[in-house]
Amino acid sequence: MNRKLINGLLIFFALAIMAIIVWDFVGNKAGKNVPNPYEYNIDEFRKVDSLKVIYKEILNFPVVADVLSGIAISDSLIIVAAGNEIIKFDISGKEVFRKAIQDSSICLTVDANRDIWIATRHYIAQYNSNGSLLNRWNSFGDRSVITSLAVSGDRVFVADAGNRIVYHCDKTGKIVQKIGEKNGQNGVPGYVIPSPFMDLAVDDEGFLWVVNTGRHSFENYNADGSLRTSWGIAGMKIEGFSGCCNPAEMAIMDDNSFVTSEKGLPRIKLYGQHGELKGIIAPPESFNQDSYYAPDVAVDANYQVFALDYARKQVRIFKLK
Amino acid sequence: MSTDNLPKKMDRRRLIKNGMQLTLGLSLVSIAGWSAFKSTSDRLVWQLDPFKCVQCGRCAKECVMTPSAVKCVHAFNLCGYCDLCGGYLKPDPNARTTAAENQLCPTAAIKRKYIEDPYFEYEIDEALCIGCAKCVAGCTSFGNGSLHLQVRHDRCKNCNECAIARVCPAEAFQRVPISSPYLIKGGFTKGKNG
Ligand code: SF4
Ligand code: SF4
Ligand code: SF4
Repeated sequence: MNRKLINGLLIFFALAIMAIIVWDFVGNKAGKNVPNPYEYNIDEFRKVDSLKVIYKEILNFPVVADVLSGIAISDSLIIVAAGNEIIKFDISGKEVFRKAIQDSSICLTVDANRDIWIATRHYIAQYNSNGSLLNRWNSFGDRSVITSLAVSGDRVFVADAGNRIVYHCDKTGKIVQKIGEKNGQNGVPGYVIPSPFMDLAVDDEGFLWVVNTGRHSFENYNADGSLRTSWGIAGMKIEGFSGCCNPAEMAIMDDNSFVTSEKGLPRIKLYGQHGELKGIIAPPESFNQDSYYAPDVAVDANYQVFALDYARKQVRIFKLK
Repeated sequence: MSTDNLPKKMDRRRLIKNGMQLTLGLSLVSIAGWSAFKSTSDRLVWQLDPFKCVQCGRCAKECVMTPSAVKCVHAFNLCGYCDLCGGYLKPDPNARTTAAENQLCPTAAIKRKYIEDPYFEYEIDEALCIGCAKCVAGCTSFGNGSLHLQVRHDRCKNCNECAIARVCPAEAFQRVPISSPYLIKGGFTKGKNG
């Protein structure tokens, strides 16, 4: 009798424990999808007027690499810096070149000689088109956080978000002048760079453009480093640049219009040379909803836009509709 | 019908029965022991990994404490001191001011202080914070991710099983040594590859 009672109790407790475990498990799983009353909701800004979307995606292909750093176009080749690798694709997305490099890239550019310039966090390295090292500059110091570079003739421009400055250097790395230091005399407002995003590019006429992301503005400089002009508008609406610091990436087309790429609410847009919105290249809904990284962008002579989508690890090509 | 094998069968049955009793008994003892160990262990406390958190809002609702023992904390060394702060201001605010209609936080727990043009400092009033992570989502998406959640140990009861950990969809909760009870964000933000 006693033994039966003990058996019964043990089985009862075992079943009760099992029931609690199952209930807990099922309850947890179901509970994982409950609505969030405190949701940070920006859905209304994800929707755009489809008439404003003037580009369409014509191709995308994966980039097999652990880390993606930046994208550039040279001679109809798509060049991707991927951490310690340089990878080239032809325009159909076929990988045609891959080489390991010593320098850990943050971004890249390609000059008129097809040399590939790699920026690391603290210094610049120059490679030829076969990925052989030509030159490695001295470090800009521990505080430097290089975020972009551009080569125009014998001028190399380096954006240093850590020191909030642009270095105009010669091709050997010698600093010719510093651009963008706050100066009331020549109208330079100074860079406000809340996060490590500060892109630059040189336009068709050889003028430098720098994105002052904290001010949501594009700043254009004369050769002597004085401010020539600027434009920009902050805002979550499609005309503006959202968040604390945007556009995070940009490229300039041959007609001097601007391709902009934003983080937070990823979207790629096209602006005229005076800052008027011409249309949307890739609306927010074309990116993963949980991704807030700004794709790097590059353009070719046919006004095609090449986006390096970090979330999908893809190169995505957009063409005017 | 032969009965030759009966004692043997009885023995086997008893053996199985005793084995089952022993197994069940041991299971119960070990479960009880594990619970006792967890409840008496003072070497570990609950904490959440801010890099895993997906700002689901549960930290505000599920904690046994009211308001929650989870609070927003601010890693000042990561902050951009932005004027257009994604953690402080509603998306597309009417103005960049402290007016209630422009604030994202449901309890106005974030204090905005002018430093110098164009920089502002943001401080959390923990007494008002309910750990809802709304500001964390805004800051993570549009800023540097300097605002993040932490279990505050002056308020946390260190429950045997943290009520939030049970339902956290990101499995961000873990037990950490009481000697280093916080997982504060630090250094430069993660790069564009996450
Ligand atoms: S429950 Fe998890 S994911 Fe949700 S807010 Fe808390 S830590 Fe973040
Ligand atoms: S938004 Fe939520 S988590 Fe952030 S300070 Fe306010 S109450 Fe705290
Ligand atoms: S251990 Fe308890 S008091 Fe602490 S955060 Fe979790 S539920 Fe809240």
